[in-house]
Amino acid sequence: MPREMDDAPALELRGLTKRYGDVTALDGLDLRVERGAFFGLLGPNGAGKSTTIGVCTTLVRPSSGHAFLLGQDVVEDPAVARAAVGLVFQEPSIDPELTPGETLEFTARLHHLAAPRRRAGELLDAVGLSGEAHRPARTLSGGQRRRLEIARGLLHRPYVLFLDEPTVGLDPAARAAIWEHLRELPREGRTTVCLTTHSMEEADALCERLAIIDRGRLVVEGAPDVLKAALGGDVVYFTLERAEGAAAKLRAAPGVRGIADRGGGRIRVTVEAGPRHLAGLVEAVAAHGIVEVDMRRPTLEEVFLHHTGHVFEAEK
Amino acid sequence: MRQVAADTLTLLRRELLRYRRDRAYWVGQLVFPLAIIGIAGFGLRNVDWVQGAGYSGGLASGILVLVVGSGAIGGGFSLIEDRDSGFLRALLVAPVSRTSIVLGKLGARIVVSVALVVLLVLPLTLLTPIRLPHPGAALVALVGVSAFFVALGIALATQLRRLESFRTFAALITIPLYLVSGILYPLENLPVFLRMAAYANPMTYGADLFRWGLLGVHELPVGLSVALLTGLSALCVVVAVALFERGART
Repeated sequence: MPREMDDAPALELRGLTKRYGDVTALDGLDLRVERGAFFGLLGPNGAGKSTTIGVCTTLVRPSSGHAFLLGQDVVEDPAVARAAVGLVFQEPSIDPELTPGETLEFTARLHHLAAPRRRAGELLDAVGLSGEAHRPARTLSGGQRRRLEIARGLLHRPYVLFLDEPTVGLDPAARAAIWEHLRELPREGRTTVCLTTHSMEEADALCERLAIIDRGRLVVEGAPDVLKAALGGDVVYFTLERAEGAAAKLRAAPGVRGIADRGGGRIRVTVEAGPRHLAGLVEAVAAHGIVEVDMRRPTLEEVFLHHTGHVFEAEK
Repeated sequence: MRQVAADTLTLLRRELLRYRRDRAYWVGQLVFPLAIIGIAGFGLRNVDWVQGAGYSGGLASGILVLVVGSGAIGGGFSLIEDRDSGFLRALLVAPVSRTSIVLGKLGARIVVSVALVVLLVLPLTLLTPIRLPHPGAALVALVGVSAFFVALGIALATQLRRLESFRTFAALITIPLYLVSGILYPLENLPVFLRMAAYANPMTYGADLFRWGLLGVHELPVGLSVALLTGLSALCVVVAVALFERGART
């Protein structure tokens, strides 16, 4: 275990860059994750999330820049970094022939923990797999397997637990179960959780703080509620038959903070206290032939759009 | 050092658990050699081996070495399986040395091979002149051959991604190694250039030593076989670990 440096953040990235040939996966990423946080790294596919985790867990060597875990450079001291982190991979990584109990017990032994069997039992309880402890992992459901991997990641009481897309490919019920367990993880007072996701919903539901990244760079960082509130209100989308001149009328309507003409008759209006001002907006453009009105409370999707100027493409 | 030993033991136990659960594996590994020795042994009943050991004894000893060797190359096969299941990825982020992973697979193979040979030798004492006069020599041969083939399998696995290509290449490499090792016929029957190849093949020394252990006959000096088998096998293990170290990084 690394020496604890009380003032050092759990994770700090400075100008982290990773190039694979001509492709730049990380482009000078700066980030700071405080101790004990439940932190989310949100971004579309290809944003550089997995590469970031790869660097932090010593699996990927950065082209330039630095990653510090608890104040220590991961490139300089990979063994220390490896002992300090837990990692739950995006892809499955368990031996299908072993039972959950054996998987955890073996991992506990490989981490040289005292009382490996008892520790394995504690974590099976924590992720609700005590009843499946003696079945080969190949007979478990996708969600159960993922929970087993999460339990394995926590086994050695890591300082930072990295979860790479913990619910990707799961059905909604299994996903909800994972969220439940993630919220109640036995973090034993100090484990910082850092998860990546391309699901806005997941980031919103789980994370105390978020960093949105896009094309290998930090877009914005903060608590989800603060990020959403900073947009200054609700968003109303209008689709109009004749959009010419509508933007000016909307701009003059009460409560309106901002207008963006998205083309094709679509206009995006940022409005304070949407439900109260919606009627006024509708009235303002009634003459333009309203095809569709869609009001949304601010979501992280809006946050992403606001900061990057393009839509969040979760799937390609 | 102690940590490597402890990790090796943990990984060895995991491998053994996997073998233990695979019932079909044991049935196949036990039935196959008995069937060959039983059938071919009759067909070759009157053919003589070196020093009057009889062909059935020589063949049985050879087939057992083959079982040990082809089983051991499965160590590399299981490395690809571990990579496919993703288990290897999890091992590589744990604080475990690559050496432990290789030695764990080797250790498990030795345990499984000893079990197989013990189970097979008993019925073979009824069918062949096998009497196991030098069990120590047989064990050294078994460990050496296992180490050589586990190393070969792992080296191969670090270079190949798919199970199918592994199978093909493994056969491509092992079959010539078997053919020039004197497990099917005495080395003295081979022309000089093939005999030279045989002398560079660790399997030759393993097979001869094993024959000495099982039947009490040998073609090569026993001391030389022990020295060359252990030396060459150890070298191969070191190379396999080095290849694995290099290939395991991304």
